[in-house]
Amino acid sequence: MEKVFALKNVKFHYKDSKRISRIFEDISFDIFSDEITALIGENGSGKTTVTKLMMGIIKPLQGNIYVFGRNIKEMSLGQIGKKVGYLFQNPERQLFATSVYEELSFVMEIKGYDKKYIDKEVSQTLKLLNLYHLKNDVPFFLSGGEKQRLALASILVNKPKYLVLDEPTTSLDIERKEILSNIIDKLRKEKIGTLIVSHDNQFIERHADRIIQLSKGEIVNDTRT
Amino acid sequence: MIQELDARTKIIIVLVLSTWAIFFRNIQILLLVLLVSICISIFLKCDLKGVMYKTKKLFKIMIIIALVQSIFTKEGQAIFIINGFPILTYEGLVKTVEFILRVAIIVVSASIVVTSNYREIVQGLVQWKVPYEIAFMVSVAIRFMPIFSQELKDVVTAIQLRGIEIKKIPLGKKIKVYSYLFMPIVSSVIIKTKELSMAMEMKAFGAYPQRTSYMVIQMKKIDYIVISISVLCLLSSIFLYLI
Repeated sequence: MEKVFALKNVKFHYKDSKRISRIFEDISFDIFSDEITALIGENGSGKTTVTKLMMGIIKPLQGNIYVFGRNIKEMSLGQIGKKVGYLFQNPERQLFATSVYEELSFVMEIKGYDKKYIDKEVSQTLKLLNLYHLKNDVPFFLSGGEKQRLALASILVNKPKYLVLDEPTTSLDIERKEILSNIIDKLRKEKIGTLIVSHDNQFIERHADRIIQLSKGEIVNDTRT
Repeated sequence: MIQELDARTKIIIVLVLSTWAIFFRNIQILLLVLLVSICISIFLKCDLKGVMYKTKKLFKIMIIIALVQSIFTKEGQAIFIINGFPILTYEGLVKTVEFILRVAIIVVSASIVVTSNYREIVQGLVQWKVPYEIAFMVSVAIRFMPIFSQELKDVVTAIQLRGIEIKKIPLGKKIKVYSYLFMPIVSSVIIKTKELSMAMEMKAFGAYPQRTSYMVIQMKKIDYIVISISVLCLLSSIFLYLI
């Protein structure tokens, strides 16, 4: 099994002019590629912070983080994003285009892909997430669940080697949750692993091979199911 | 004690420094005003380093604007000529330096107000008989500015996490990528405005003409002294400059 992430003695605090919030003093763990890992814990336990650290969005005060064996200090966000897809807790922040179709196509256009290839990939991904009928709609006016699925589609279209999903089921109904579950199962068959940050016990029980529990910035439990 | 000046006193200090920055057209005087602004900021324990870091990009843009301005200034002795066409003149260079100094004074002096809590600033304005609606607008602007700045950063991060290496792509594509920042920011502004207006309606904003406030700020002796000195300095300097 390939190591996707390796966190070695990571220390991180949030600082503002008035106070320091100590999130992690010394945290270390590895995440492997072809398994589904769930990150659980109470609110404020540092779940989202740890994913942000892993994606290079925020930098650790001490320690090192490796993504597919490379230290993130030597990597740009773009390089990390090519390998790992990240679904934000608030999907609105990762929707940029004026149409659903463009939301998926613009990155490939910037990368200089062929139009036919782009069209094929975008259509396939939109169908996979049951969004094809909305392809001309404005992302801004979609419902919460549709935005969530569109954000996920925009990640999947880039064909990442691993996925990090922060609260992916928050605005999904049972039917849409089932679609997401099927996608995760399909990706698992393609040897694409996922890190799921969630409070949804049912969803975690269905998918997780490994559950890491965080509490007050420390790993209190790390078990394989 | 002087570090705990009333928010209104700080506003007066900023107004005086900004007036000097706009009024004077002399590099030496502007340099002196900048020095005074820095000294006051340090004395009032402003986070000058933080302000400089945050406005780093602004200064880059300012320098570009100033250079363009200097190129289009044709008066004065030519310093740099290409094919008989003066690209840089002495007058243009002077104007550029003056412009940069003015922006620096305004940025440094603005850091003085930031040391006060936004609630104190609003309350100060209300006690100065500024209509509450206007004071509230000021408070909203102050409160939302860091939020929008953080959102802009998040959006840039999200775009890069789609696998786009912004630094490596050509300028044309870079401009296209930046054009995509517009949509999430505008949508966020619309959503926040809608939510804020609903919250205000629900709290019956403006339902009664008279408002009372739990918080009342009081000027101290030191505030009156600082305001008097500031206004006196402003008036006398302008008077001396004009004669």
